[in-house]
Amino acid sequence: MRKIIFLLSFIATLSCKNEAKTNGKLNVVTTTTMITDLVKNIGGDAINIEGLMGSGVDPHLYKASEGDVTKLVNADVIFYNGLHLEGKLVDVFEKMEGQNKTQVALAETIDKGQLIGSEYFASNYDPHVWFNVDFFKLFARKVTQVLSEKDPENAKTYIQNEEKYFEELDALKKDIQGVVDVLPKEERILITAHDAFNYFGEAYDFKVVGLQGLSTATEAGVQDVQKLATFIIEHNVKAIFVESSVPKRTIEALQQAVKSKDHDVKIGGTLYSDALGDAGTIEGTYVGMYRYNIKTIVSALINE
Amino acid sequence: MSNAQLEIQVIASLVAIACAIPGTFLVLRKMAMISDAISHSILPGIVIGFFITHDLNSPLLILLAALTGIITVVLVEYIQKTGLVKEDTAIGLVFPALFSIGVILIAKNANDVHLDVDAVLLGELAFAPFDRLIIGGTDVGPKSLWVVGTILLVTVALLFTFYKELKVSTFDKGLAASLGFSPAIIHYGLMSVSSVTTVGAFDAVGAILVVALMIAPAASAYLITKDLKKMLILAITFGVFSAIFGYWVAHWLDASISGSITTILGLVFLAVYLFAPEKGIIAVLYREKQQRTEVSLLTFLLHLKNHDDLSERHVKHLNEHINWQKVRSKTVLDLAQKNNMITIKNNIVSLTQKGDEFTSKAIDYIITNEDAQIEDMKDDFFLFRG
Repeated sequence: MRKIIFLLSFIATLSCKNEAKTNGKLNVVTTTTMITDLVKNIGGDAINIEGLMGSGVDPHLYKASEGDVTKLVNADVIFYNGLHLEGKLVDVFEKMEGQNKTQVALAETIDKGQLIGSEYFASNYDPHVWFNVDFFKLFARKVTQVLSEKDPENAKTYIQNEEKYFEELDALKKDIQGVVDVLPKEERILITAHDAFNYFGEAYDFKVVGLQGLSTATEAGVQDVQKLATFIIEHNVKAIFVESSVPKRTIEALQQAVKSKDHDVKIGGTLYSDALGDAGTIEGTYVGMYRYNIKTIVSALINE
Repeated sequence: MSNAQLEIQVIASLVAIACAIPGTFLVLRKMAMISDAISHSILPGIVIGFFITHDLNSPLLILLAALTGIITVVLVEYIQKTGLVKEDTAIGLVFPALFSIGVILIAKNANDVHLDVDAVLLGELAFAPFDRLIIGGTDVGPKSLWVVGTILLVTVALLFTFYKELKVSTFDKGLAASLGFSPAIIHYGLMSVSSVTTVGAFDAVGAILVVALMIAPAASAYLITKDLKKMLILAITFGVFSAIFGYWVAHWLDASISGSITTILGLVFLAVYLFAPEKGIIAVLYREKQQRTEVSLLTFLLHLKNHDDLSERHVKHLNEHINWQKVRSKTVLDLAQKNNMITIKNNIVSLTQKGDEFTSKAIDYIITNEDAQIEDMKDDFFLFRG
């Protein structure tokens, strides 16, 4: 009994600060860096925003820190991707009902018919939807709608910001199309470590091949590597790509496999897939990240 | 401190207790790694559950996971009983096999579904307060608090009911069998409890923390005591202390809670390893040094006993004759004087009555190896403590 009293008093002495932000602004929590960037663009200074994941974090493998608890406790609105991208975190958000919070799974606002489904299990979808700029615009629309509902006073600001951001995204779309058009259709083959770029491929006519499945737990099999190596040689693919949030070991193994068959394939660079670059850099924004990715892909694949 | 923060600490403490109890027995039975094995071997259970339900959130997945945990335990026991391999080898044989069945099932049938232990089963302590149990519209607390609490209650009830049986079968299987309760049944019972605790706790707090909470507190307690009851209490204390202290370390560092608790568990073990009164490194080193000094003391006293001439008993002579360094001869002289075994007059050392008796007894003990002679000396001298 004395021990319990001791422990309780220990807890009591340590419980020092309870830092709920009370500047009257909406407290918004976001998960991936893409969503954080998007909500920053729409909410601007009118909201308090806390992103849970940093750059280079694989959302499937994200580990929460103690500070995240307080962020979530204080959250009024939570924006996340959904479709199981954030692993267990998605379950956590889904179960948060009745706690005075609004949780929005942005990817689930997209019509299911437009999503790329699993080959075997109908109810599971590829979650990497942000690589289709049109889908990302749907994200933005939803964010604006939710923020305006929750905070009608600033609704005007949100709508203005949305318009501005849409212009940026439209410009981005045009630029991407311009860069992609340079590359002949038969050379549009994108090979990466895991299947993050299916929506990108669908939008811009790329054949996308991932070495690993969607789950980062299963490793690529020997046969997968050999098959893909043969594929690379048959289609005369010039470059394969590493992803910032996935170890590059598997892609290097693939490069070796191609080499052992007396062919050469170069590593075209590092693409941002599940997370943006470091905050403060150009690649730290969605628009900058996409520009960087597309430039890296096309300049590595094109015949000079 | 917010409610959420308090709830996390309560859940972590309950998990610590629920793990420390089976953990103590597992450590004593050299089966500590079974919890780590279970964390891997439950994969096929989860995969098959998913094939049946096509739903990643179905409770059937967790049920089948617990079942695969028990299968793991049964297989380990079966292999170990053949007597061909040891406990740890049996564990090492079983869990990779089961885990790879799971991996192959995923690779063959569900490569494009997000199916892994992380996504389905492993919980995160930080999020435990947000998954609440709501009965009839009332919020009765975090769900994992109830899950872990129930497991803990069952574990404690079983511990009190079968304490004697557990104790005997852990330390003396032969005796247990002759007293009429089957060590195998107790063993399977304990292992099933461990399996259910492990899977239930995985869902609440994640894998590494469960493995650490099962092993580290029990291992630390084992360094301090040999008494089963004390060991259980110490293991629980270490576990709860690490859970709460680790939580606050995570708070200060804004780091992973499970990671911090696990780190503190490691540091607690390190501290015990260094400072434990009997088996700790420092105690062992001190004892060894003391023993060396006492051997010297005995040599010195023998020398005095055997030599009557003054020249042999001069303080300075000791340095030359017995070939000790100055420091050491001083330590030995001090020790002898402190125990009233010698007197020094004009730099001449002579044995006292007590010193003489001590030497005779010690010699007697060394020759006959009979303990009775030196019973009263054990408290003062490490040399005679075996």
